[in-house]
Amino acid sequence: MTQQEHKASSIWIANLSHTFRKQTSPAIKDIELTIPKGQLTALIGRSGCGKSTLLKMMAGLMIPSDGAVRIGGHTVTKPSAKWNMMFQKPSLYPWMSVRENAALGLVFAGTYEQKKDSVESLLDMVGLSEHKDKNVQQLSGGQQQRVALARSLATEPDILLLDEPFSALDAFTRTQLQDEVAEICHDQGITMVMVTHDIEEAIAMADKVIIMSQNPGEIVGDLDVPLGYPRERSQPQFINLKETLFAEFEKIDQAKQQAMANAG
Amino acid sequence: MSDVTATRPTMSIGGLWAGYQRWPGWLQNLTNATLGMGILLFVWWIGGLLIASNPDTQAFANFAPGPTFQALWYLIETGSIWETIYSSLYRIMIGLFWGIVIGVPTGILVGYFLMVRQIANMPFQFLRMISPLAWMPIAVLAFETWDAAIIFLLVMATVWPIVFGTAHGVQRIDPNWFQVAKNLGADGYQMLRRVILPAIAQDVFAGIRLAIGVAWVVLVPAEYLGVTSGLGYAINDARDTLDYDTLAAIVVVIGLIGYLLDATAVALIKRYSWRVE
Ligand SMILES: Nc1ncnc2c1ncn2[C@@H]1O[C@H](COP(=O)(O)OP(=O)(O)OP(=O)(O)O)[C@@H](O)[C@H]1O
Ligand SMILES: [Mg+2]
Repeated sequence: MTQQEHKASSIWIANLSHTFRKQTSPAIKDIELTIPKGQLTALIGRSGCGKSTLLKMMAGLMIPSDGAVRIGGHTVTKPSAKWNMMFQKPSLYPWMSVRENAALGLVFAGTYEQKKDSVESLLDMVGLSEHKDKNVQQLSGGQQQRVALARSLATEPDILLLDEPFSALDAFTRTQLQDEVAEICHDQGITMVMVTHDIEEAIAMADKVIIMSQNPGEIVGDLDVPLGYPRERSQPQFINLKETLFAEFEKIDQAKQQAMANAG
Repeated sequence: MSDVTATRPTMSIGGLWAGYQRWPGWLQNLTNATLGMGILLFVWWIGGLLIASNPDTQAFANFAPGPTFQALWYLIETGSIWETIYSSLYRIMIGLFWGIVIGVPTGILVGYFLMVRQIANMPFQFLRMISPLAWMPIAVLAFETWDAAIIFLLVMATVWPIVFGTAHGVQRIDPNWFQVAKNLGADGYQMLRRVILPAIAQDVFAGIRLAIGVAWVVLVPAEYLGVTSGLGYAINDARDTLDYDTLAAIVVVIGLIGYLLDATAVALIKRYSWRVE
């Protein structure tokens, strides 16, 4: 990769492998991945294939035993307000109000006083106008996840990393939030990487789907999703893409299991 | 449906009970609290009568509620009690201050680091079981003034509940809170100030509440020795001068202040509690 390409890419991963302590075989192996600025990427694969591990390395919450993640030309060694990770559980701070939770990143950065209004409008945007002063324990699961979303967006990150952020929500709330997050990232030019088990979620949100297989976790394929936003889930193109992705995933998965069976 | 609810209240036990159950919670609470204090006073009063009617114990008749409250009023009217209370409260506060200054950081370390916990557990459990008063001879040797010795005893009394309360709070912190805060760019101080301290505050105050209880109980016997001020000294002094009504009045004061200290701690726990039931 040239220096030029390097700059245009938001996230650049080369030769990345990771073996957990006290393990003999690597959990993820030889990951090569380039994610252009502003691309919405979905990472799919079976449970345990190393998706979360890879995402945590992008966030700087884990350091790979081999290779590196580079963002904007710098090796990621620790978390930063420039990239933000949203987890499966909202993990809000129960002693704070909705507003205080959403503003926390700005409070840490010391910029809350200047950017007060942005917190208000973010909370409006995620549909929490009427709940700003409530304690977060008084909110439903979907509302809590929206607070977490507002909290992640408040620091105006270049990159948003999502680890199955909607898996605990009901189908209606989930679809709604999928559309909202995809549109926000798309409109604001945020580079998004999302881990999911859900084929439909991947097609609904991503420009590009990356397929991972397990033992060890590797990238084994990808699929472009040439659809605009918002995406109509009942449109034939959407359904086609879903089926294509599913077929692709099965094919790759079977091939890999075959290969492993042959190997012994 | 409607005939069932329209029964008229009658003066039966069942009727009274049903009526009581309809009272608001605070009124039930107040009534029961008053009843409890009434029973205590009644038992005290009966005890006073028994003491007065027995020729062997007649000399102690002033322990009864009547003389006690007269003596209490006298102590308040002349103002001599305030100096005494101040001395004791001052010692408690200094003891508690050091208990917190030592106990909270220690508790954070013990709660946060498994290794520290493993190292500290046995010695702390061992030390915790030693009555603070057992340190008295050592305290007297180690400190020049009686006051310093007493404060040392109070620190030995307060530090353990605070250490264990704090450690307990830290261990119950959701590890994701650290990850999220780190992710949002928190530095070490911000992590402490915005995440760790608010998360553990209620458990720390629960430890402080226990500490206050132990310290208050330890203080009075500690003040029997050496010092010439404070509630413990006042009790000893009243005994020596056979002022049993004053002695009983000071016991009342000790109970009352202990209750107020505890109520303050309970209010703080409530204020900093964030868990919903
Ligand atoms: N701390 C750890 N120590 C040892 N092994 C680990 C550790 N964390 C994860 N693993 C292993 O690494 C592999 C990948 O884990 P990871 O959590 O990344 O999977 P995942 O793809 O996110 O799975 P899921 O979809 O279930 O969340 C798994 O086999 C897991 O058992
Ligand atoms: Mg995972």
